[in-house]
Amino acid sequence: MNDSMSIPHLIMNASLIVQLVMLLLLAASIASWIIIFQRSIALRRAEKAYRDFEDRFWSGVDLNELYRDLPAEQESLGAEHVFRSGFREFNRLMPKTQSTDAVLEGVQRGQRVALSREEDRLQLNLTFLATVASASPYIGLFGTVWGIMGSFQSLSMAQQATLSTVAPWIAEALVATAMGLFAAIPAVIFYNRLSAHAGRLLGKYENFAEEFHAILHRNLQGRSEREAS
Amino acid sequence: MAKRERRVGYGWPVLLAIGVHIAALMLTIIKWPESEPDPTSSSVVQATLVRAETATDQPQQTEESTPPPSQSEEEDAPKPEESAPEESSKEPAPDNDAEVTDNAVEEAKAEARRLQEEAQRAEQQRAEAERQRQEEAEAEKKRQAEAEAERQRQKEAEAERQRQEEAEAERKRQQEAEAERQRQQEAEAERQRQKEAEAERQRQEEAEAERKRQEEAEAERKRQAEAEAERKRQQELAERAAQANESSLDSMISDEEQSIANAEQASEAANGFKNLVRRYVEQSWNVPSNASSELRAIVRIQLLPTGELVNATITQSSGNSAFDHSVINAVEKAAPFREMRELDASVKGQFREFNLDFNPEDIR
Repeated sequence: MNDSMSIPHLIMNASLIVQLVMLLLLAASIASWIIIFQRSIALRRAEKAYRDFEDRFWSGVDLNELYRDLPAEQESLGAEHVFRSGFREFNRLMPKTQSTDAVLEGVQRGQRVALSREEDRLQLNLTFLATVASASPYIGLFGTVWGIMGSFQSLSMAQQATLSTVAPWIAEALVATAMGLFAAIPAVIFYNRLSAHAGRLLGKYENFAEEFHAILHRNLQGRSEREAS
Repeated sequence: MAKRERRVGYGWPVLLAIGVHIAALMLTIIKWPESEPDPTSSSVVQATLVRAETATDQPQQTEESTPPPSQSEEEDAPKPEESAPEESSKEPAPDNDAEVTDNAVEEAKAEARRLQEEAQRAEQQRAEAERQRQEEAEAEKKRQAEAEAERQRQKEAEAERQRQEEAEAERKRQQEAEAERQRQQEAEAERQRQKEAEAERQRQEEAEAERKRQEEAEAERKRQAEAEAERKRQQELAERAAQANESSLDSMISDEEQSIANAEQASEAANGFKNLVRRYVEQSWNVPSNASSELRAIVRIQLLPTGELVNATITQSSGNSAFDHSVINAVEKAAPFREMRELDASVKGQFREFNLDFNPEDIR
């Protein structure tokens, strides 16, 4: 392989549109890798935080105390956020109504809102990965087709079409497809991996919300029976 | 739980992502210089010249010539030792005179000593002289032996040269004899040929003379006969001329018609074959897309009687080299034309070489 066929040399000699396509693909690749790293770290931390919170929750601590220890509404995340919004709703409704159904309904609504917010936060930017994964091969292909079009246009001027006159053009054009695949393949792999991770975490939150709801329900049931007697 | 742990910033991810891309770029840049093939040595056989000389018989000859002198040296060596005892036996004679006086004794002793010394010196000188003589003799013998060897070698070389010269002379003599014989034979043949030619000429001259004589006689007779016949013929001709005129005209017309028909048949067959060839060529013709309908190329096609293509050349170019190439390629692809075998021999000759003109409009 001589110097004129090296990849940086090919990129430098490409036509303007192909170079723009390559630049776009490079940006998409860098952005997708940023998201991959950011999401990986964030999800790992969220999982760890959930495990810590679950241990604390099931350690027999008083729920009021736990509620007071937790940080303010905007700061809390994950299962803490679900717990906090549910418990706050419970505390606010308890003095106002005697109906257990109304209280439980309010708690459930608060938890649902918190869960949907958590879901949104966990899957933040994952759609961008999906976009890169599906679009960048096509963008690269566009660059290749454009480059080959240019190569054939210039070929029509040449007297004789030998392999050595065509080869650099086509190699240059194919670099765009290579870059598209380079951006797309990690994006596909990590999109599947991260969205599965986020879905698993969300399932855990929902399970926790149901368990918390069951505890509140048990408490309310006991109190209403006591009042009735 | 501290809040800095919850919010994941973008600083580290950005650095990591850029690092990944730089690593990928490095791989593409750095990998290929290593993959250059290292040059292999082109030499297959490794040999060195040890010695270019061949052994000669020269050293062997010198070795053979040296031993005789050494033997003679051993034989000569004992001689001075034998002469030494004779000198010592002479010494007691002056000893008897010493009894008269001490001086005389002493003198005699001194004399004896001197004599002895002299004798020893003489002895030594003699031995020296002897040795020198022996050495000289040895050297002489050696020189003689060498000279002998040299002479022998020269003699052999001489003999060899003589033998070669003789062989050469013999060969020359044989060649000359051979040449002589050939020359004689040729001369003989020449003489015979001349004789034959002479005889032939004489025979021809005789025959010529004979023929002339006969011809003259014949001519004489003919002239008389003709004169008579002429008269008769003129009469007959005048009668027949009118009849003959009519019949000859008829036959001429029919001949003409026949030949015209033949020519038509031949040209029809020829055209048929030509059209066949043209159709085959056009079937395998890829007309270049940029060829306009005005282009026209004439191709000279040379065929074997079996229909195989010998050569196809452009005799009149269309001016478009791509078009010309495509025509030649088409002819080469369409060959061989097996129908050539079925043609008559007379028509075949016509198609050993013929021209065809091609025009893209023919197939569009």
